[in-house]
Amino acid sequence: MSWVQRYGALIRNAWLVDLQYRASIVLWLLWGVTEPAIALGIWWAIAGSGTVGGYARADFARYFFAVMLINQLTIAWDSWYLDRWIREGELNFRLARPLHPMHEAVADNIAYKARTASVILIVWLVAAVAWPAVRLPAPLGRLAVTALAVVLAAAMRFFISFTTGLLAFWTTRATAIMEAHAGVSLFLAGRIAPLALLPPAVASVAGVLWFRSMLAFPVDLLTGTVHGADAMLRGFAAQVVWLAFWALACRFAWTRGLRRYGAVGG
Amino acid sequence: MTFRISNSAFRILRAFWRINVAEELQYRANFVASVLGTVFYMVTALLTLSLFFRHTSQLGGWDYWEIVVLLGVFNALTGVIEAVLRPGIGGLVGEVRNGELDLVLVKPVDAQGFVSFRRLDIWRFSDVVLGLALAGYALYRLGRVPSLAQLAAFGLTLAAAAVVVYAIWVLLMSLAFWFVSVENIAVLFDALFEGARYPVSAYPGALRFLFVYLIPIAWTTTVPASALTGRLRPALAVVAAVVAALVFALARLAWRVALRRYSGASG
Repeated sequence: MSWVQRYGALIRNAWLVDLQYRASIVLWLLWGVTEPAIALGIWWAIAGSGTVGGYARADFARYFFAVMLINQLTIAWDSWYLDRWIREGELNFRLARPLHPMHEAVADNIAYKARTASVILIVWLVAAVAWPAVRLPAPLGRLAVTALAVVLAAAMRFFISFTTGLLAFWTTRATAIMEAHAGVSLFLAGRIAPLALLPPAVASVAGVLWFRSMLAFPVDLLTGTVHGADAMLRGFAAQVVWLAFWALACRFAWTRGLRRYGAVGG
Repeated sequence: MTFRISNSAFRILRAFWRINVAEELQYRANFVASVLGTVFYMVTALLTLSLFFRHTSQLGGWDYWEIVVLLGVFNALTGVIEAVLRPGIGGLVGEVRNGELDLVLVKPVDAQGFVSFRRLDIWRFSDVVLGLALAGYALYRLGRVPSLAQLAAFGLTLAAAAVVVYAIWVLLMSLAFWFVSVENIAVLFDALFEGARYPVSAYPGALRFLFVYLIPIAWTTTVPASALTGRLRPALAVVAAVVAALVFALARLAWRVALRRYSGASG
């Protein structure tokens, strides 16, 4: 069986499972866009008829619509699943399959994101008809580099989430750690404001660590606020380096954790 | 449309709560985790607010510490939600689906009252204490000492806020009788309640109308916080109580209609 066939079957399965829970998924989607929508409302009020740090009302509108879309494309819930799999033993039958459980998780992500992100994209397109502020000129070249950055960001957030979930081998508070990470990324990944509006010291921390690569960099690419080939290359370099870091961390946690898991069950 | 509260109902609830508390006291580490989580959450909210105020000196006519008072109220209400509503009435969707609600309905008590208050997550009451403490500290920073009348208005509007929040939960959960498959309907509340973190005057006109008249979350945080900071006209405290009574009656009606649809596990 080739990898194309395997992934075809896994994605088809995940797609059909999601179809069963489509009403629940719509509610999660609604919950996911509330935060950027409220942030947009507040910045909209602050900007008034002027600009804040170079951002006028329309810039904020485009920024937060891009956040809604790209956050949905890159978010990974795997730490919550893994935490349950490990604590309740659902990992056992997954280990017995002739396929690493990670592939199932990747397929789930692809199916889930294809469904939910296309809903956001449609809403955005409809909104753009009525509301000029969220219209975004998107040359093909820009869309292509954004797509690449989104794939890298999604892969990295998947590994972060998966690694954190694997901490359930050692602690019962793995999901709390993931929530703390989400709290920090509220600022450092650019969910509450463009990084340009943070205090410069905080923004540079976001750039040195992996947080900018998670969300703010692809969002800035899409809205056209990354200027020059140099800045773009450095952004991609950071994404690749941190992706490699989290992939290795994940591999490390998996081999170590599994040894421990066997010891508990045996 | 009556709301029977007999003495025996209180006795039953007291017995339930006693078992509940004894159970929770076994997991004292949860208390530390809960407090840490709340402190982290509050710090995040304060940092967010500081970020906004780096670029402005007021939000919807409110200055920094006034909004911190509001955040304190928000946190106190979050405590009520997490301690009482989510563990109690939040479990309804699952019970409607698998028919466990049968076990509630055969009990000789008011089903809505029982479902709502049967179970407490007592550690989350620490959120109420921490939230009120934050509001108190913000008032101190504002240099304002609320008068007795203002404190009374705060008490009244906060109670009204709790009733409004409760009624919204009952209304949402009543939907479970129609949409059995939507197990995460409480998420809808979480999404709406996010809007209550800031004074309604900070939002654009359409959202403000929505929050005041259609989904009355403006009454949950903006109004009690206004009572503490002295912004509230006394008449509005009475209006808040009337709004709470109306929403409660509506929720009670929705519950009765919804319950008529329920046909048990076999249906």
